[in-house]
Amino acid sequence: MKTRKDYDIIIIGSGAGGGTVAKELSSMCADGLRIAVLEQGPRLREDEYTGRESEMAQKLYVDNGGMMTSDGTMTLAMGRLLGGSTVVYTGTSILLPEHVAERWAVPGLDWADLVGRSKKYMGENNVHLQEPEKINDNNRLFHEGCQELGYACEQFPINVKGCKGSGLCNLGCPNAAKQGTLRVQLPAAAANGVELITNCRVERIDGKTLHARIENRDFGEPSAWAPGDYTITAKAIVVSSGSVGSPALLFRSGFGDRLPMLGRYFTAHPALILVGQHAGPITNYQGHPKSYFCDEYMESERYLLETCMYFPFVTAKSLSGFGPEHSALMADMRRLQMILVLAMDPAEKDNRIEVDNDGNPVVHYAFHDTTINALVHSQRTSTRIFFAAGAERVHAPSADRFFIEAHEANRIDDIITRDNFKLGKISIASAHLMGGCRMGGDTAKSVTDAWGRVHGEPGLYVADASLFPQCSEVNPYLTIMGLADRVAQQVREDYAELAAVANTAQESAA
Amino acid sequence: MSALDDSQWALLMAVAARVTPETAGLDDTGKRDFKGLIDTALGQRPAAVQKQFGTLLKIVRLAPVFRYGKPFDKLSPQQQDAVLAWFQDAPVTLLRKGTWGLKAMVFMGYYGRPEAAAQVHWTPEFDGNTELARRHNERIAGGAS
Repeated sequence: MKTRKDYDIIIIGSGAGGGTVAKELSSMCADGLRIAVLEQGPRLREDEYTGRESEMAQKLYVDNGGMMTSDGTMTLAMGRLLGGSTVVYTGTSILLPEHVAERWAVPGLDWADLVGRSKKYMGENNVHLQEPEKINDNNRLFHEGCQELGYACEQFPINVKGCKGSGLCNLGCPNAAKQGTLRVQLPAAAANGVELITNCRVERIDGKTLHARIENRDFGEPSAWAPGDYTITAKAIVVSSGSVGSPALLFRSGFGDRLPMLGRYFTAHPALILVGQHAGPITNYQGHPKSYFCDEYMESERYLLETCMYFPFVTAKSLSGFGPEHSALMADMRRLQMILVLAMDPAEKDNRIEVDNDGNPVVHYAFHDTTINALVHSQRTSTRIFFAAGAERVHAPSADRFFIEAHEANRIDDIITRDNFKLGKISIASAHLMGGCRMGGDTAKSVTDAWGRVHGEPGLYVADASLFPQCSEVNPYLTIMGLADRVAQQVREDYAELAAVANTAQESAA
Repeated sequence: MSALDDSQWALLMAVAARVTPETAGLDDTGKRDFKGLIDTALGQRPAAVQKQFGTLLKIVRLAPVFRYGKPFDKLSPQQQDAVLAWFQDAPVTLLRKGTWGLKAMVFMGYYGRPEAAAQVHWTPEFDGNTELARRHNERIAGGAS
């Protein structure tokens, strides 16, 4: 027996996309509209943000952060809780570069308009540069290494308020300092009357009816609705389940035949975690983990380097090899300097989301040659940065040995080679999942228009990173929020007509 | 119910002793926690993935018979290392990624324990900026840049 619920607008997902749409539409509640956000994950209690790695990975991420592509060569990190991935990112806030919008070439998407909207959220979410005294050695050494080598290096603006430098951003901030949608947009939306329904998995969309199930977990707060199956009606539906979740939901809902590009052109900024070992302890896990980026090789080799600091298990699994050498590197994490490589992968039609027979998402991803070249070249560059920063030795997964010693620095190009880059052996991860419901001019080439309207489906919208027609080349959340702001505007503009159509249909049925 | 049977656990522990030698020194509590983390992670994966993991363990156990005439758990430590190194660099992606998954499970079991975090000196505090300020002031007092 399914319980029926009636709403005017339903938003599926509560991350950078869904949270933004919820807040932007929330003023419509004052006109009597019923709006709800349906989030698959729970709302964690504040005392559940413990900073313990295994525990938090289980509570915050899909598959503990280890969901794999179908061939098992890349892991995908997706937040699954109220606030979505904005709870687990580091809050680095970069606007979409103009040349990227030009590459995207989406009819009706104006870069200045998008960036103007993203800037609104920079203000709303307290984006600013961290004070110099709060920058730790791990970050400082990266900056010094880049300067030594003459590489372009800039400081990341971040969206924190009252950051105490726990360094635990990717395990959910225990100090509630990160200004994601959980802390900013969702509370604002709720204050205006939007209902936040957690532990709610939407199985499929059938016209203007959603089929969903509430299932509480053994952690987090219970859902506002009782466990069980629901049918939920709405006049407008905004899908914001992320680049894997949104195409999967639309496939489960039978849109695959009507939308040939659904799920396609998935990109991921495939990432490597690289480690340099210093002679003695440096400050690395104290303070915000991500202060600088280096885009020296962005255009020529298609990768970005960022500072990072990860946790014991994630660090251990990011290293190639095993045994005593692996243990020697892991033995004292205070000595480790880390760099995150993000490759700018091209959007390819066959890199795609599908669903299996049970409706679960399957991600097919093949590495393009240029992406592999970028991942190899970036290891050489990072190794140079580590040594320029004073590291004693470096671990690069495409090296012909576990450690590259400082005295071998003049042989980096011989030691780190493409031949040693073996998919499956090397730990490649992605936390920037993009595409799958790409924007564009028509159904033959895209899933939605430039305002997130699904082609040929009035009242159905997408608002998340799945809209990206190609990768963003920067950390994506501000761009997602800018696009979601546009989607919210479109929903608002369309709403009167959608309501009229729904009312007419209801009268006819009656 | 455990995701692995006794013989699978025994093999996994043998592999773990080569991947992360420190696992051999775990006390009973450590071993319980090690297994608990892996069991929980495996238990949350689809049945097909659990089955694949079991198959992988079987392959690792039996493949050395063709080269050494003995299963993995009967090999010397050096031979076990050679087998794992071969799997890690195997010409077939499927075997490489399987080995990566096997190693990842061992790393999760060992480094996922809070005790291990302390042993590798990863001891974050919610107020990390205080320690950062102390070190910053020390550096200024010491005349460093």
